[in-house]
Amino acid sequence: METLKYTFQAEKRVKHKAHVGVVGSANLEVIFLPTNNSFSTVDISSKFEGHSAVWKSILERFFAENNCLADIEINDFGATSGVISLRLLQALEVANLDNE
Amino acid sequence: MIMNSFVELTARERAEAIVDKGTFRELLDPYENFRSPHLLKQGIIAQNDDGMIVGKGTFNNKQAVVISMEGNFQGGGIGEVSGAKFAGALELALEDNKKGIPTQPIILFDTGGVRLQEANYGLLSISEIQAAIVELRNYQPLIGVIPGRIGCFGGMSMTAALFSYLIITKEGRLTLNGPEVIEQEAGIKEFDASDKVLIWNTLGGANRVATGYADYLAEDSLEDIVRIIGKCIGLGIPVHRSTKIDAYENLLASINPKENLTPQGLQEYMKRHGFLEKDYTVKKVISNKKDHLQKQLPAQVIHSRGRSWFNGIVGKDYVNKSKIDSVMCGDISLNGEVARVITVVPDENSYYPRAKGGEVGLEQGWEIARCIREAMREDEGKVSRPIIAVVDTPSQAYGYKEELLGIFLSCASAVDAYASARLAGHPVVTLIVGNAISGAFLAHGLQESYIISLDDDKIVVHAMSKKSAARITKRSISEMDKAAADVPGIAYDIHSFNCLGALNHLIKVNNHDAPLNEDINLIKAELIKGIKTSRENGNTLKYRLKTENAIIYRALSIEVREKLKELW
Repeated sequence: METLKYTFQAEKRVKHKAHVGVVGSANLEVIFLPTNNSFSTVDISSKFEGHSAVWKSILERFFAENNCLADIEINDFGATSGVISLRLLQALEVANLDNE
Repeated sequence: MIMNSFVELTARERAEAIVDKGTFRELLDPYENFRSPHLLKQGIIAQNDDGMIVGKGTFNNKQAVVISMEGNFQGGGIGEVSGAKFAGALELALEDNKKGIPTQPIILFDTGGVRLQEANYGLLSISEIQAAIVELRNYQPLIGVIPGRIGCFGGMSMTAALFSYLIITKEGRLTLNGPEVIEQEAGIKEFDASDKVLIWNTLGGANRVATGYADYLAEDSLEDIVRIIGKCIGLGIPVHRSTKIDAYENLLASINPKENLTPQGLQEYMKRHGFLEKDYTVKKVISNKKDHLQKQLPAQVIHSRGRSWFNGIVGKDYVNKSKIDSVMCGDISLNGEVARVITVVPDENSYYPRAKGGEVGLEQGWEIARCIREAMREDEGKVSRPIIAVVDTPSQAYGYKEELLGIFLSCASAVDAYASARLAGHPVVTLIVGNAISGAFLAHGLQESYIISLDDDKIVVHAMSKKSAARITKRSISEMDKAAADVPGIAYDIHSFNCLGALNHLIKVNNHDAPLNEDINLIKAELIKGIKTSRENGNTLKYRLKTENAIIYRALSIEVREKLKELW
């Protein structure tokens, strides 16, 4: 098990909290919480160790493309990078839905 | 028409979909951060809802509480947090119903049973869930859905067996011991865990409905499941399966355990005898069992702690009130009143051979239930006599026929009887003198309102044997032992179990295997104390969360319940 923490400068504040995914085999749970800071935080707990470089590049790309401001929690059970990116985008979409 | 798959949905989506549109309100949602600290300590990634979704809403405009298990997280296993969410929600629904606010429980199962990484936390939680169900069933029909993929296993299959109605799909499985555990415990000849066809034909939804262990076979569609739930609510509270002792004992006696029995064969047999008909009455069927017993030589009495302590407490002049030798039941005079003592012992002539070693098997569960209900009937309108469970049981019985013939229901009948006895005013006290393991302990010992144990390092209390638990959690035994040092809930010894607060008293005696007179007298004095305390506490399980140890070691069980109450 490995825990990783990152911060990213960002501007587009998410509208509300969001939760997607399940800590199941090759899957992960992602939570977005709105923040009043000028930077996003990402707290990761992952079952597998030694993948910090992969996490970093996935997150750098996500923030470069979406510029989203939120406190993010990730609980990962061995998801592939494709699944991770997908869940981040899903959470972002839910966090910006108008009906909540 | 396009159907909406139900099986494909996550637990949260299922819960939201099952109630009237737009009415779902989740309680203790993931943002409340109730993650399992026990998993984290073992290096396992935890989830913020702990795999248990609890919410309120309406079903056909009736207030409902929905509890939904996430099979993809740790196999839907019941740990401390998830168990407390389940039990807490049922306890609140019960309070509502008692106050005259009808609240309909709908439970969506997808669970492997006790989460082995939290073992005894799960075992205690399940017994508390079962206690709530037996009481809640008096107010509302309990409706359970087993959609699959995981199904409903272990202690949770016993829980499901207490329900008023079970709805299952072809993808759902319902059984006590998983095939891998049976293979591990009883050998590959008994059950081949790689024979998927056999497994589905035995444990799968289609067979369970055809043989009456579940009520309705649903399509994998939201619409169909909602329709059947509505139908069940309309039918109201039925005579519960887990109370039909005569019918099931009759079935078990009329089957020959030595002959091959296929699921299809059982279906045909039940049909031929009208077993599933509404007006089925117990007929004197040709009892294979009678022949079996006549042919047997008298069994050699096998020593067991349960037997020694039972004999010590009950004395020599006793007639077994039970119909089978492996369940011993006798009445004693204790502090000027009658008390009933029950234990399970080894019997080499046991009709179902998988329960020769003191296990709680098919017959034992029903027979324990009979012994308890007989006392309840005799005491109607009088003082409710105390019931004492002497516990020394290696496990539930592991076998193919056990699963086919619904050992989970048999064990549930004992749970049902103990819980019903408490509700009827009988103090129910457990005395642990030997091992107390898994489904057998749930059936015989964990519905009690007071628990005493001998203070002996040899006593093992657990959800599963070490070998099987290692196989299921994919860990080595040494890895499990290491994890147990940090998490008392997964340790196997009585002192660790004592940490969890459910034990009222640990007692040192001179001889654990063959008690001396003074040991018996000491224990009798403790039993009298336990009976008194139980009566003072209203014969409930609620004391468990009030003990000094519980306040420390089950802090989360308490906190989850308090928080749920706030959000209710």
